[in-house]
Amino acid sequence: MVTADLLANAVVAGLLLGGFYAAVAIGLAIIFGQLDIVNIAHPAFIIAGAYTAYILNSRFGIDPVLIGVLAAPLFFLAGAGIYRVYYGAFERTGQESLSGLAFFFGLMFIIEVVLILVYGVDYRLVQAGYIGESWRIGFVDLPFRMLVPFVVAVALTAGIYLYLARTFTGRAIQAVAQDRLALQLMGVNPIRVKQWAFGLGIATAAIAGALLIIIGPVEPSVGRQYIGRAFAIVVLGGMGSISGMFIAALILGIVESLVNTFMGPSWAPAVAFGVLLLTLALRPSGLFGR
Amino acid sequence: MANSLSIEGVRAGYGAVQVLEGISLAVRDGETVALLGTNGAGKSTLMKAVMGIVTPSAGRIAAVIDDVEHDLVGKTPEEVVDLGIALVPEGRRLFPKLTVQENLLMGASRRAARGRIDENLAFCFETFPVLAERRGQLAGSMSGGEQQMLALARAIMTAPKILLIDEPSVGLAPIFVARTVEKIAELKRRFGLTVLMAEQNFTQAIKIADRGYVIVHGHIEFEGESRESMQNNDMIRRLYLGM
Repeated sequence: MVTADLLANAVVAGLLLGGFYAAVAIGLAIIFGQLDIVNIAHPAFIIAGAYTAYILNSRFGIDPVLIGVLAAPLFFLAGAGIYRVYYGAFERTGQESLSGLAFFFGLMFIIEVVLILVYGVDYRLVQAGYIGESWRIGFVDLPFRMLVPFVVAVALTAGIYLYLARTFTGRAIQAVAQDRLALQLMGVNPIRVKQWAFGLGIATAAIAGALLIIIGPVEPSVGRQYIGRAFAIVVLGGMGSISGMFIAALILGIVESLVNTFMGPSWAPAVAFGVLLLTLALRPSGLFGR
Repeated sequence: MANSLSIEGVRAGYGAVQVLEGISLAVRDGETVALLGTNGAGKSTLMKAVMGIVTPSAGRIAAVIDDVEHDLVGKTPEEVVDLGIALVPEGRRLFPKLTVQENLLMGASRRAARGRIDENLAFCFETFPVLAERRGQLAGSMSGGEQQMLALARAIMTAPKILLIDEPSVGLAPIFVARTVEKIAELKRRFGLTVLMAEQNFTQAIKIADRGYVIVHGHIEFEGESRESMQNNDMIRRLYLGM
């Protein structure tokens, strides 16, 4: 039965979930949307971020969001290093499409297996004062474990959006996939730009991972559930458009939440692909393609 | 301070295909030199060799920038640009999904250009009022003539001393060709640029060139020391003027 409060709660929960999805997809909006690199391991980096939050939170009791922010520079360096390897091994010789994909597949499994070997397959979680608290506005529930990730994700999205639009490096990141040689003619080294952008994309995974483990317990293979969603959001958002990606994430979150509430949770995983197929059929450049 | 370009005995090509068969030419300080030739003669390849996009197999390419000589062979395009040499490439190569203003700002990426960004942007908008009107529009959605103006303005944003322009007239309606050539002359005057311009359109190129070279099958077929000597040359009259 559809009641007003059930509907309102489903929409609000979906909105909060969608905000979190934006944090999951934003790194991919840069790496896949702007750089055209099919980094299928992105959700695995998010899991690595979640485990970083788990380890430091359980050992030192640091707030998970703070851990995410502090770990971001390390993830940036790891990302820059991985791009260097990817460039040297595949992109330079033009083998990125198939071998590159296999490279990221392999990376995904390595991250998963290392986490399983070290921490096992048990679900891990973090402690923070606000997890378990919630606000109630009228009949709408706002659990903090969803609200905090939403707020952080909005801040992250706004930050990346402004960075890409307002800085020289940000504009170069947008330009590098459009015309590499033209970028060189502006006196900019495209490899360095891509390395920086890849690092930036991976850095967002540290924060997204912290948000993931605030929302609920995490085990090493849950990242796989986000591969389809993250890619669907980037494509829906029009490949590389940050504002488009954000709106696509909110739409997906809301639709998923409605399906979850009114049709049952088993349908929810099909939503991302359903929305993606529909969009590609009706508007191949995504909802907000330039 | 003086800026000049000298190319001596340059041979270059793509894989097994040799395009430049030993080219020598010079652009002296403050000159506008026209490089004339038909499609496939090697004009673009020569420009690419100067910019480090194509590596010559033999010969020497050197530029004097502010009285300092630099050897260009072996440098990457971004290093050449950073010395103060800009190329308006064939086909314009704008960033189609960036706005006009974003394209212009991309031009000012190198450190020496960032300090002059406001001044140069104001100058570009003044010289090309259409770009000011369309500053928020995506570059890919503009007409060919407007795109050529943007490509020129974007190169100016790199604050160059030497400007190479590859076939500015290609794909433009005659009215835009004339206007583009006038703008090049204006930019050169205002910025004190040294210019090398590749063109097929002799009539337009000779309007602003101090002198020129005719390139045929990868070598210099004729060198005209003045505008008059170009106009009176038999081969040019035959090839370009149909006389």
